[in-house]
Amino acid sequence: MSITRRKLLASSLLAAAFNPLGKTLAAGADVAHSSAPWHNWSGYLQSNPAQRFAPKSEQELADFMKGNAGGVRPVGAGHSFSPLVPTNDALVVLDNLSGVVAYDDASTTAVLRAGTRLSDSGPMLDQIGQAMINLPDIDRQTIGGAIATSTHGTGLGLGSLSAYVTSVRLVTPEGRVIDANRNDNPEIYQAARTNLGALGVLTEVGFQNRKPFKLKSMAWVEKTNTVIESFAERCLEYEHYEFMPFLHADFSLVIAHKETDGALKPPVPEEDQGDIFGVLSNLPVFARRPVINFLVEAIEPSEAVEASYLALTNIRNDRFNEMEYSVAVEDGLACVREILDTVTKLGIDALIPLEYRVIEKDDSWLSMFSGSAKASISIHRMAGYDYKPYFDVIEPIFWKYGGRPHWGKVHSLGYDELSNLYPHLDDFIEVQTELDPSGKMLNQHIAKILNRNV
Amino acid sequence: MLKKSLKVFAKQAANLLALTSAGVSLRRLLLVTAMTSLSVFTLTGCETKELQGVLLTQPSASETAQAQHKWVRSCALCHVNGEGGAPKVGDAAAWQPRLEQGGDVLLAHTLQGLNRMPPLGYCMDCSESDFRILIDFMSRGAQ
Repeated sequence: MSITRRKLLASSLLAAAFNPLGKTLAAGADVAHSSAPWHNWSGYLQSNPAQRFAPKSEQELADFMKGNAGGVRPVGAGHSFSPLVPTNDALVVLDNLSGVVAYDDASTTAVLRAGTRLSDSGPMLDQIGQAMINLPDIDRQTIGGAIATSTHGTGLGLGSLSAYVTSVRLVTPEGRVIDANRNDNPEIYQAARTNLGALGVLTEVGFQNRKPFKLKSMAWVEKTNTVIESFAERCLEYEHYEFMPFLHADFSLVIAHKETDGALKPPVPEEDQGDIFGVLSNLPVFARRPVINFLVEAIEPSEAVEASYLALTNIRNDRFNEMEYSVAVEDGLACVREILDTVTKLGIDALIPLEYRVIEKDDSWLSMFSGSAKASISIHRMAGYDYKPYFDVIEPIFWKYGGRPHWGKVHSLGYDELSNLYPHLDDFIEVQTELDPSGKMLNQHIAKILNRNV
Repeated sequence: MLKKSLKVFAKQAANLLALTSAGVSLRRLLLVTAMTSLSVFTLTGCETKELQGVLLTQPSASETAQAQHKWVRSCALCHVNGEGGAPKVGDAAAWQPRLEQGGDVLLAHTLQGLNRMPPLGYCMDCSESDFRILIDFMSRGAQ
């Protein structure tokens, strides 16, 4: 038996086949009027947008922004668990603005349209001899959505997607088109690299990439204590390294990737997995430790060798809600231990493992990793279950360690707390207010973060 | 037998708890992609078919084309290779029991999400009409 991670996405090949260099469709924009609510991926968030606008060109988007007096919220794949998207005004969908705009071999940089899904970006970049330096483990997101929340993977010395943004192109709330990079409009550039979708709508993002590379993916189960004790050493051994401690158990799933020149070795396909969640959730919490230990210890390690964009990314079929905070790397392992102990001590009825990753620092203003490298710790609750009792108990532990909340995941903080955690929050607010004086891009959640009135 | 059962159970636990899922072979993917291309071709010709339970009105050619473009970047993410148990495009056996629930139920499941299917199926700008066209298209092999 082996554990495999989801590797190969039909969408990637399909998208490449239909639209190899991402040519924008020529027909007019779609304006959909739907009486059905909008929901995020987990189904927890919902709103009733008055219209859903899917521009087919940047000019259409600019015209729309100029002519629309009401509120606007951009949406990518809807994978954020925090209410960044919900709006009863206009929802802007960038799915039609997808593909590679330009690239440069010498600097290994490429500009992608903001509506490009990460799952499509891998094959697109591969065609031009490039690959993203790192990737998050969910790849349904759009580039624009992923950048808005500093979406990240794991690896010592490897930053979030926002860390590798070299340029942005933005349609402002008033319909102006602005290019920004380190030299031109540098303050907008620093704000836009992690922008919460609050500056306007990004249409293009430039990335520092690298040449395509292969990764050997390894997954195995190991005692959590051993994993924690060896963590620093293992991070040096594997370029991408993370672990997922099982709750109410003594083991973790370890996932490691190491660069290789070896032959490709696809992951082993698996049959349908059935409803193990239902089985385990019917067990009383106090009875789970021996059962889960018994089950997971029997899992055999697995290996595969694939292109980086396939190795690093997954499809997560079982929907959930998630909270994630990033703490100082030196505090991370103590923090994860405290969470595990708290879950055990309080008998919290949750099954999905924690996730522990490391991310290099960057200098974008609102990145969770702005200024210093961090360890990120995630907690999850299956969709359809009330996550609040669990998350409300764990969130203060993150605060105790000075954690910064992931912008796209559940948190309860507002401006007062966030301004202490993010030194550049006021800088961001200044840029945001200048670009959006009337507050078109604000919903209640963003207004709370930015200390502005809707 | 006991050992085999334990292995299956352990694999399920690992996949649920660690949020992992199955890989798909390149060969299979290419086959499905080829099938999908054929199905897309069929979609363009569906105007001549009779109205089915999912469709309320006969879509125009432009409505069909618009929905087709949306399908490629949304539904296709899962319904090409059956990701997460999604019924594959054109898979008669998989779609039949769903069609028997009626078009309104299928639409409601699409809008609200069901089990592993996320609400709206990654099509944030699809209208109800678009969804009906796309459900009809994907299930046509079952009719």
